[in-house]
Amino acid sequence: MSSLLRGEEMCLAQLFLQSGSAYDCISELGELGLVEFRDLNPSVTAFQRKHVNEIKKCEEMERILVFMYCIITSLAHSLSLSLCLQEQLQRLEVELGEVTRNKEKLQRNLLELTEYTHMLRITRKFVQRTAEVSVSLCNLHPHFFISGLIQRVKIEAFERMLWRVCKGYTILSYAEVEEYLENPDTGEPTKCVVFLISYWGDQIGQKVKKICDCYHCHVYPYPSSNEERNDVVEGLRTRIQDLHTVLNRTEDYLRQVLIKASESVYTWVIQVKKMKAIYYILNLCSFDVTNKCLIAEVWCPVNDIPTLRRRKSGATVPSFVNRIPTSDTPPTLIKTNKFTSGFQNIVDAYGVGSYREVNPAPFTIITFPFLFAVMFGDLGHGVIMAVFAAWMVLCENNRKLKNTRNEIWNTFFEGRYIILMMGLFSIYTGLIYNDCFSKSLNIFGSGWSVKAMGWTKEQWENNRFLTLDPNVTGVFKGPYPLGIDPIWNLASNRLTFLNSYKMKMSVILGIIHMSFGVILSTYNYLKKYNLYLVFLPELLFLLCLFGYLVFMILYKWLAFSAKDSRHAPSILIHFINMFLMQGDGLQPLYPGQTGLQIFLVVIAVLSVPVLLLGKPVYLYWLHNGSHRLGLYRRVRRNSEEELYLMRAHDMEEGSSHSDLSSSGENPTEEFDFADELLHQAIHTIEYCLGCVSNTASYLRLWALSLAHAQLSEVLWAMVMRVGLRMDSTLGVLFLVPVFGLFAVLTVSILLVMEGLSAFLHALRLHWVEFQNKFYGGTGVKFCPFAFSLLPSSFEHDGLL
Amino acid sequence: GTETLTFNVDHGYLEGLVRGMKAGILTSTDYHNLAQCDTLEDMKLHLQSTDYGKLLSSSEEDLTVSLVDSKLRANLVTEFSCLRSNALPPLSTFLDYITYSYMIDNVVMLITGALKQRDVAELLPRCHPLGAFDQMAAVGIARTPTELYSAILVDTPLAPFFQDAVSESNLDEMEAEILRNKLYKAYIESFHSFCKNIGGVTADIMCPVLEFEADRRTFIITVNSFGTELSGADKSALYPSCGKLYPEGLRLLAKAEDHEQVKAVANCYPEYKLIFDDPEPGADFKTLEDRFFEQEVKLNMLAFLQQFHFGVFYSYVKLKEQESRNIVWIAECVTQRQKSKIHNYIPIFPGTH
Repeated sequence: MSSLLRGEEMCLAQLFLQSGSAYDCISELGELGLVEFRDLNPSVTAFQRKHVNEIKKCEEMERILVFMYCIITSLAHSLSLSLCLQEQLQRLEVELGEVTRNKEKLQRNLLELTEYTHMLRITRKFVQRTAEVSVSLCNLHPHFFISGLIQRVKIEAFERMLWRVCKGYTILSYAEVEEYLENPDTGEPTKCVVFLISYWGDQIGQKVKKICDCYHCHVYPYPSSNEERNDVVEGLRTRIQDLHTVLNRTEDYLRQVLIKASESVYTWVIQVKKMKAIYYILNLCSFDVTNKCLIAEVWCPVNDIPTLRRRKSGATVPSFVNRIPTSDTPPTLIKTNKFTSGFQNIVDAYGVGSYREVNPAPFTIITFPFLFAVMFGDLGHGVIMAVFAAWMVLCENNRKLKNTRNEIWNTFFEGRYIILMMGLFSIYTGLIYNDCFSKSLNIFGSGWSVKAMGWTKEQWENNRFLTLDPNVTGVFKGPYPLGIDPIWNLASNRLTFLNSYKMKMSVILGIIHMSFGVILSTYNYLKKYNLYLVFLPELLFLLCLFGYLVFMILYKWLAFSAKDSRHAPSILIHFINMFLMQGDGLQPLYPGQTGLQIFLVVIAVLSVPVLLLGKPVYLYWLHNGSHRLGLYRRVRRNSEEELYLMRAHDMEEGSSHSDLSSSGENPTEEFDFADELLHQAIHTIEYCLGCVSNTASYLRLWALSLAHAQLSEVLWAMVMRVGLRMDSTLGVLFLVPVFGLFAVLTVSILLVMEGLSAFLHALRLHWVEFQNKFYGGTGVKFCPFAFSLLPSSFEHDGLL
Repeated sequence: GTETLTFNVDHGYLEGLVRGMKAGILTSTDYHNLAQCDTLEDMKLHLQSTDYGKLLSSSEEDLTVSLVDSKLRANLVTEFSCLRSNALPPLSTFLDYITYSYMIDNVVMLITGALKQRDVAELLPRCHPLGAFDQMAAVGIARTPTELYSAILVDTPLAPFFQDAVSESNLDEMEAEILRNKLYKAYIESFHSFCKNIGGVTADIMCPVLEFEADRRTFIITVNSFGTELSGADKSALYPSCGKLYPEGLRLLAKAEDHEQVKAVANCYPEYKLIFDDPEPGADFKTLEDRFFEQEVKLNMLAFLQQFHFGVFYSYVKLKEQESRNIVWIAECVTQRQKSKIHNYIPIFPGTH
């Protein structure tokens, strides 16, 4: 509990790791996840560090793993082996690379052969036609043929260029292949066209060949006679069959290799990630003079140092843990569990607490859902919210819910305990407000009796509104045991009554909340004078003015009953008169009121100059006092020169250590009176004005709860009541869609939208009104080196 | 104007995208770190922390400068094709215009390659992928510019630029170079008038950039023509006429015979005077090319100061190209251990972090 309130006590420790076992030690520390390493070579750039090569190797392995992962997923199979990862990986990569290359070659070959057969089949049809044309010509010149396949999209441009370049001295005939052939470069099925060009002369032939190259045609030799054609077709058929069997074999082999590897590819990824992380940490360490062991500096919770020592001594080569004193501010560590972490996140979103600063989170656990519920008070809505959150809490180990990538869902899921608390508190406030979907529950029976008024029949018929008078005996039998009396749900002046109640309640809650914040600030004061010169005037100021307001509200509630309610004074007037110091015309609330009020105002006014001047003047006095003593000390330091020599000596001894001490070196704090005064003046103004504006700010509790209640009432009146008004049997059927609409609107508007708005306002009340009374939030979060915090999935970090 | 009102309807997404990509351009600290590297592996490690990410580390082969170059190029092409495939007219036309200059370079490279009897398959990978087009491989067939036009390039977007370049003379290396300049002249004039027609901020931004580009080519042609048999009339036919030098500067430059005369012409134009100024004795010597690049970078950076125009797309491609040149330069220096020259890159967005 003390850890949650103040954060863990941290210390700076020096680890001496034998260079032989450094890797194992760091790996052990990564499993523990207790320490945060400090960079001891900040001046060295990333690629000049010692273990860059190892990191590069890790990256190389990552690359291979990505490569393998791609192959494996493409085969829809999933890859197992142990250490000496790198060798294995590289061997596997080479093997896989070769096999896939082989496979590709074979497939290409197969494709060519199929294309060739297609071409032969189709050109056969051309031959008859061309034969007729060429018969007359071939006597004059020998004519040649070029035939091949071209992609269908290119055929038009191809034909055009052929015509232009060869000026028509060619004959082109083409036909489409019915089947889709696979494009060897992209792997997509494409439509191809078989063409046959006949031409005369070598010159043109050169050009035609070049054009064919240009359009990436696949050119195949054209058989001159029918017998030759048949031979080729026959030859091709057998070769294709052979290729099919070879391809099948290769695929089988590939599959075997991959299955072997697939079982452990995930563990490999994790191993490589761990390795890389360890080398990154090793890069942060520095070598000692003898180069035999590594020195690392870590932040570590004091309580965990024994654990650390125990684990270290367990390693084969002993390493040492050493606490070193430091003036640097340690990082903040607040240990949380799954319940408190959500609330801690709310606080951290505002600012991570400074080291050992009082942590608002433990109080937030109660106050946050409570203030939320004050604004959200409705029993029905609260139950729905609590049930939803309870379901999430019960299913929190369900992997499907945990690991979704839907960010909106994750936000809700992370905050399931907050939502649960908010729901439960809403049930409570709903009971107090006696609101359930804008209707009141009459559990204990109302404390008001209409019968006792003794109204006649005429009165009933002639008046729209009748007033119940509590002063008539028997009408008011005493307060309702829990919350607001359900009869108010029928009253026409319900809103007036509730407004007055809710407004006063929010002021009371606000002032209690703020005073609590001021009291918490005592935890943060290290010096005693702060208690008298800052805390006390602050508290007096708040309590004398606004605390007294609360007192008046409570006093009025208790002192005036229904009988003398006509004489009940207005608190507002009394409060204003308190500042004006004139209360002559009014009836005092209690004897001695004027005297007490004057006394309180004087104290409040007096505490302002104390707050403003007390601390700076006291510090000034302290400083001047010590200044005189300091003279004596300064004489002993003979010269600056000697100091310089001492420092140079330090530097020789341990370069790493002096590096750090020089950064944090500031032994005597320079005291600047004007500076201090300015700061205190700003603080005073902020605080005094803040007390007024923050009190007003708490009225949002009233406003939001009013809005929520009104909205749910409107929803009932506009939707549900319409459905309930039909009194035929058809009304039952009509009620089904109406209720559907009502349910959807209730969830979407009242639960989600109103919930979010109430959440935001509760957040603001905590961040601004509560935390600015005591919380600095200027710390740095402790981020330990832990393997569990590494992104484990493939998706992160470029892996995939 | 009204185009600012409706600009975002069609092009807002892409402008946002390109501005986001611009934020990934290496800063002076990145260059400083890169210049400290000892091996290409170190450079790879450092580039991982920039927007390039795993670009270099995902390859299996050993790192070489040419691999770095091609990876950077591929990266630019990926980004550009993403922009191009999402673009609507007139932005799509504008983006096409950017690719035309690479097409011209590719065509000329293929012609000179074919003249040297190189294999097309060997030449194709060396073409800039931004300027790739279907008919590219057939360029080697043509013997004269006319043939090149009528047989091969007539279907490509380069066709309109051929109006002045059509001639029957045989293609040799000199002719190829002249062809390049003629095409480029036509291209840049057409691009200039296109930007002018778009008007608005685009014209305000793009016209100075293109005018500078035109003038730079003019200067380069003039300087390169020293010692060749190119006559003044020949030269002035190559000069793009949309620059600030037009018309008086061009006339004078056509007559220029040596460096001093070019300098005299440049002295009349304040923006070019600086470029041709003698370097101060203490400062590093920079080539004329580098000074032009520097000026270009400066102009292109200005494009990002205004919104609702197309200039950012052009400028981004050019700046990214300059960045690739810088990285390749540093990589060259690192592999050849020429540490003294490593700082001769041209910084982009100096002073931004």
